[in-house]
Amino acid sequence: MAKVNPDFVKDIRKYGADDFSACFSCGTCTAICSLTDKDNSFPRKMIRYTMLGLESEIKTSVDPWMCYYCGDCSTNCPRQADPGNLMMAVRRYLISKYDWTGLSGLLYRNLAGYIIAFLIVIVGVIGVSVKGGFDHSEWLHYGHYFEMYSIAGIFAFILFPNIIRMWYYIVWSKTKKFNIRNHFVALGELFVHMFTQKRSLECDKTKNDTLWWFEHFILVIGYLALLFTTVFLDWFATKSTVINAMGYVFSAIIFVVTFDFVIRRLRKRSEKTSFSHPSDWFFVIWLFLMGISAFAVRLLIDLGTLENNFWVFLFHLVVLAQWALIIVPFGKWTHFLYRSFAMYFAAIINKPDAEPAVKK
Amino acid sequence: MKERIGVYICHCGGNISDYVDVEELGKMFHAEDNVIISKDVMFACADSNQKAMVNDISENHLDAIVVASCSPKLHLHTFKNVASRAGLNPTNYVQVNIREQCSWPHSDKPREATVKAAGLIRAGINRVSHSESLDNIEIQVKRAVLVVGAGVAGMKAAIDLARLGNEVYLVEKDYFVGGRIAQADKLFMSGQKGKDIVAKLYAELKSYKNITLFTGATVEKVSGSLGNFHVDIKIKPRYIHVKADPTTVKKAMDECSIMVDDAFSFALTKRKAIYKNYAEALPDVPVVDIEALKNDTEFLSKYASSFDLTQQDEVLSLYAGSVLVTTGFDSYQPKDGEYGYKTVPNVLTLPEFNSLMELNPEQLVYNNKAIKKIAFIYCVGNRQTKGENKYCSRQCCTSAIYSSIQLKEKYKNITAFHLFRDIRTYGKQEILYEKSSKQGDIYIRWDEKEPPIVEQDGKSINIKVKDHLTSKKELEVEADMVVLVTGMVAREDSQQISEKFKIPIGNDKFFNEIHPKLKPVETVIKGVYIGGSCQGPKNISESVQSSLSAAAKINALLKGGTVSLDPVVARVNNDVCTWCGKCAEVCEYTAIRSIASGDKQIAQVNEAICTGCGICAPVCLVNAIEIAQYTDSEIESMIDGFMQKIEIRDKSSESEEVETTEVLMMKEFPQLWKNILESIDKSKKSIPQLAEELATDKEIITYHLMTMNKYSVVMADGMDEKEAYYYYKRKN
Repeated sequence: MAKVNPDFVKDIRKYGADDFSACFSCGTCTAICSLTDKDNSFPRKMIRYTMLGLESEIKTSVDPWMCYYCGDCSTNCPRQADPGNLMMAVRRYLISKYDWTGLSGLLYRNLAGYIIAFLIVIVGVIGVSVKGGFDHSEWLHYGHYFEMYSIAGIFAFILFPNIIRMWYYIVWSKTKKFNIRNHFVALGELFVHMFTQKRSLECDKTKNDTLWWFEHFILVIGYLALLFTTVFLDWFATKSTVINAMGYVFSAIIFVVTFDFVIRRLRKRSEKTSFSHPSDWFFVIWLFLMGISAFAVRLLIDLGTLENNFWVFLFHLVVLAQWALIIVPFGKWTHFLYRSFAMYFAAIINKPDAEPAVKK
Repeated sequence: MKERIGVYICHCGGNISDYVDVEELGKMFHAEDNVIISKDVMFACADSNQKAMVNDISENHLDAIVVASCSPKLHLHTFKNVASRAGLNPTNYVQVNIREQCSWPHSDKPREATVKAAGLIRAGINRVSHSESLDNIEIQVKRAVLVVGAGVAGMKAAIDLARLGNEVYLVEKDYFVGGRIAQADKLFMSGQKGKDIVAKLYAELKSYKNITLFTGATVEKVSGSLGNFHVDIKIKPRYIHVKADPTTVKKAMDECSIMVDDAFSFALTKRKAIYKNYAEALPDVPVVDIEALKNDTEFLSKYASSFDLTQQDEVLSLYAGSVLVTTGFDSYQPKDGEYGYKTVPNVLTLPEFNSLMELNPEQLVYNNKAIKKIAFIYCVGNRQTKGENKYCSRQCCTSAIYSSIQLKEKYKNITAFHLFRDIRTYGKQEILYEKSSKQGDIYIRWDEKEPPIVEQDGKSINIKVKDHLTSKKELEVEADMVVLVTGMVAREDSQQISEKFKIPIGNDKFFNEIHPKLKPVETVIKGVYIGGSCQGPKNISESVQSSLSAAAKINALLKGGTVSLDPVVARVNNDVCTWCGKCAEVCEYTAIRSIASGDKQIAQVNEAICTGCGICAPVCLVNAIEIAQYTDSEIESMIDGFMQKIEIRDKSSESEEVETTEVLMMKEFPQLWKNILESIDKSKKSIPQLAEELATDKEIITYHLMTMNKYSVVMADGMDEKEAYYYYKRKN
């Protein structure tokens, strides 16, 4: 027996869902979807749960992560209820539910919250730099430390507990058992999907837009590689030409691809880009700024003029701090983790015999 | 007996002649059959042939004609008109159908088709030779219409009938006009208020001098028939003095302190003992509730000049040529406990709820509780697959959804749940459904087998329902108010009205038309029409459509002053009749009554009412009643004609020999059955054994045996040794 909660729709609207109440449950969306199957039926079911406000059903569902928003459902909806957008909003809602700090939900629902958080970081970075003087070589050093510690801290204290919470909702609350073999066998899914997003290629629409998939693919690889290059190979301080060149290439990939993504979102040509939540804008724009500012900083180092243009580094540091402290733990960045873990959890719950999951 | 008969056999351009040997049939009938002219023609209905027929009739002094062609549905009137043009009474014409009954169904057996056609034609010739010359029955009709019920359907019909020049008597049971729409606030789709529509119609009604409105009036007795109905109506008094000063009456109304439950607002409010249904109710004369007021002598004496307590029920006799019944519907009244009605607080029906909305313009409050969450439960008292009301009331979905839209427009922070079975917002009303779901109404679908359960839960109501749109998940809905979307049922007194006017009613107690598509507003009683929702669930526009179509029909009927009816009616042989009353007993139209004739009582048929259905003829013990054009002599002669041997030449055999054959091997069936039964009574037999023993074709035996098996005359009993055939024995 589940209680209908009509107030839930007001809540989910703040996460970016809009027209879903027009839905009259015809099921065209589920019928047309290339990714839904007998284990994971969506989007119709998710719209029903949302309309009825069945929070616990939504919270424990892995289905929203099975959708890659090709937009077929929204294009074919006879009532223009935009199921794809609802699925997107539900994913944002889920991110905020997994987050034990509750900050994700706060930021997703309030644009003002985002802006205040960004301002605090700006003030913090500038404050620290004013206090600590402007010796740029020291700063490069601090920046590097900041990167390392923030990554370690955020993983340890925020993202790791959140993944455990996600596991608790999706796997434990449904199955109430811990099958080590399944958890081990399904691990392959986690890495495959984390690095390739190959499931998105199964969407009919994405098949016709493989360029998008490829861009996204090299963006992920480029981003991870740049992370590795800056944090572990200390790009800004390296003497190695190879590492230096790698840094240039990876940062260039990031700002070129994200520039295209921003253009796509502005043009709104596909369902996927027709509606952009503030968190979507922050994600692509900050990634773009990060790539281009990192590129510029290293260029200035190589040209030997960083000292005279120290503001560039400071700008990079502000963007980096905002990225690492806001967008990574509480923003859209988390979809990188949750999507791949969702595939992993789905493999665990859907196929008790540990056969590869979500194959159609 | 007709002795100069003309017979025309039609080729129908090959439709008939491709299979039936029309030329041979044309040569078959001679003077000894009283046939003077016998012709086969390419198209009997062609203008040239019609002219030739007219010539034949006058030149040869024919006294009857038979055309063997297509179905009478197609050309009966064509050839009746030919007869009329030639000066022959059209009742001396008989049409034989050898296309739909011979050539088309028996195209695989042309010879048999020809034989059957010959039999049918002979039967037709025999019948026409016994035909009588009958004239149409002319009935004088009074150009006045009685309209029963002054709801929207009745008022609209009355206005149109009056505009077309008919005298109209509009009879309304209530003291005020408007019926159900007066109780409604805003109406979909125009958003007009029901009360405004009533006021508009009333003003129009009053502008016609030839409309007489009777309020507080009921139909007491109906007699007479088409053209001359005689209706007694009873008018209840208002107890307001005829010469009372309206301002004093108004003052008395304002001052009256005795309050009683107001049925008009579904007892949601109280009304005074001197009242109108609502402030603008029409006619603008209040009514004194004498029962409620009789003890307040002080008040009565204060306004003695305004009241006239001596007024009595008044009975008036009206004469009308036709009657239009537009008595409308009642809303289904849920039983106590049905979805918590009357047992759980804040459970209302939709009409009650609409009234509540009208009474609460600012904030929705009921039982001192602010109402924010409202659950509509659909199909209450309707679509009961096992219950009384199996039908769908078709307007309630739209009505409930429209109320839900009104709710959100009128009040703040409203949540509406719709617990439905199917949404039937047909036609343009679908827009409302879309609007409602887009405004955030929550739709939950349940199945009749598992209806929602309404329970009280502290201060609010808890509804348990299985949602078929969410894999039958059990849900709990918390609501402040439950609205039962009740359907339409026939008026409480529909049985009495039906008995008074003899209108047939269905199991659902709604009045029945003759044919839902082809005669949608006519009843089997000539001159009595039905319109609006007394006929079955309808929305307002459909109600008005049907009553206006009835108005047009009535006007066409009465316009000429006379009505011409088919002479196919029952008639009584006065000498033989001894008035046993059996015919009157079975007559569904009460067309037969007894009259004195000389020293005895005999039956008399009212020709205006009789439909010629023929039910009276077989029950008459002394054979004193018969139906014109279907007399015993006509029918018997047809059977004789059919049984007669026919001499026919078989063209395909190329011999000149004439073969004698029987059209109907009627005797064959019972005889074969008898033989089969006799044979299997001795010992059980299989089909080949029977075929051999009775020297009959195996196929014929199989056909008859299977028929006998179907009607439980015989039954299978084991199989033969080769397990190829069943044995059959008689079934007890």
